[in-house]
Amino acid sequence: MDGMEGIAIALAVCVVVALICRRYALPPIPFYIITGLLLGTAGLGIVGTSEISEWIAHMGLLFLLFTMGLHLHPGEVAKRRGSFLTAGLIDLVINFTAGFAVAFLIGLPFYDAVVLAGAFYISSSAIALSSLIDNRKLGFRESDTVIWLMVFEDIMLVALLILFTAQDVSPFRIIGIIICVAAAAFTCVWKFRGRLRQFFAREDELPILAVFLAVVLAVAVSEVTGVPDSLFVIILGSAISLAAADRAEVVARPFREVFLVIFFVFFGISVSFSGVPSFVIVTSVIVLAIITKLISGLVIGKVIHGRIYSGIDIWADTASRGEFSILLAMLYGSPAVVPVVAAMVVITSCVGSFSGKYSTHIRRWCGHIVAGK
Amino acid sequence: MGFFHQVLPGIGTKYELETESGDIISVIFMPNGRVQLYTQPAQCPDCYAADLNPMESRRLGNVLTGAIMEAEEEGVEIAFSALADLRIVVHTYIIRDQLSGKSITDLDIRSRTGVTILAVSRDGKNTVNPRPDFRFMSGDAVVVIGESDQIRVFEQEFME
Repeated sequence: MDGMEGIAIALAVCVVVALICRRYALPPIPFYIITGLLLGTAGLGIVGTSEISEWIAHMGLLFLLFTMGLHLHPGEVAKRRGSFLTAGLIDLVINFTAGFAVAFLIGLPFYDAVVLAGAFYISSSAIALSSLIDNRKLGFRESDTVIWLMVFEDIMLVALLILFTAQDVSPFRIIGIIICVAAAAFTCVWKFRGRLRQFFAREDELPILAVFLAVVLAVAVSEVTGVPDSLFVIILGSAISLAAADRAEVVARPFREVFLVIFFVFFGISVSFSGVPSFVIVTSVIVLAIITKLISGLVIGKVIHGRIYSGIDIWADTASRGEFSILLAMLYGSPAVVPVVAAMVVITSCVGSFSGKYSTHIRRWCGHIVAGK
Repeated sequence: MGFFHQVLPGIGTKYELETESGDIISVIFMPNGRVQLYTQPAQCPDCYAADLNPMESRRLGNVLTGAIMEAEEEGVEIAFSALADLRIVVHTYIIRDQLSGKSITDLDIRSRTGVTILAVSRDGKNTVNPRPDFRFMSGDAVVVIGESDQIRVFEQEFME
């Protein structure tokens, strides 16, 4: 079924899935994808993608990136000291390199290998942050490291998006346009930040309209300039964070929640396992994805916190891959990459939600084993 | 004793206090109004956490600032332990017929009782800090503030 009936069925199943996830404190993202896999091409074939579903999914992606941009307050990021860069670079070097090596070994072409490496590297901020809140771990020093790692990964995602775009058309033109738009957006927001803050504090429908307009405007500017809208919404989000990050997030949240569910479920629906490399290869990619995050976590724990066991806490909350991996696969991945990323996201986020919940037990247990020796 | 705050992107704002004895207390404010409170005793690797809704965090804040509120039927008593146990009562009353049409100066409220009329509510409209020539009408709700002895005198003089 295509069109609206398809969306209605998918969304109805997602409501039930979300209800079950909330009941058992599980992250809903992997289960939306599983729902999509079961309903779509890879499963029963009940629901197919349509123009409307693609449009809504695209809006979900844009709102996800817009709220991500809201967390990239330039001042706050600039204030971070060396530990932010050190932890971020360790995470990047270990996981991106490993992801690229794996992709190269399974014989993907260079472009696909970069996409897979990106998806392999970027953890799910949504799952990591909700794990820290729900499992009451914000008091730990390691949690600060995890939160800022997510910010570093967001910045790397922006870099990756620019990289993918710039190789399509002339890179200097693209980068020039991005710099101009960013400069204009940041200057405007900074100049009128007092008024914007008042505007976003309004209780009526105006802030909601303005946020929706900002995202639609990004799409329009992208159509004119040829630079992807995903980059523009991040820039807009980051600019608005100068004035009213918290309020804008509250306003954008309902859009994001609704559209993003469609994004996840229809990603699942669109996945086809026909072009996939063997089962053994997919499994080894997933196992490696969990192991390399453990290695980078342990190194970060040792370097930043002076204790290797801190690394277990860091790993526990960063093992999940999620929304950004899917985003990279969906925007730039070939049919060979997409199912690998889908499987990786589903399995790692299930493992990650478990490890996030029991990280203190896992750390203690590891401590006992090492002490026992 | 160190005290610092930082923004946690995607989560909220974190305030962290290290006490003289080396215990660490962190308070995280989230945009949805909830607050998470953590205490980490010195020499102990574990954190103890509580998740508070806005109401609970305000109550906890009141207890910690020493303003212990004892709710009465129509008033609250606030004790400021930092100010030599100053106890202030805020009380509401409904103006009865015999005071109707009289002004605050006519009744000489301040010099006879010591209390101050803080606000008057009439037909859903509030007048904060009414002027001395403000005339009461039957049915007005007034908020008075004073020490508990002064409030008692006010009740005897005007409300009985």
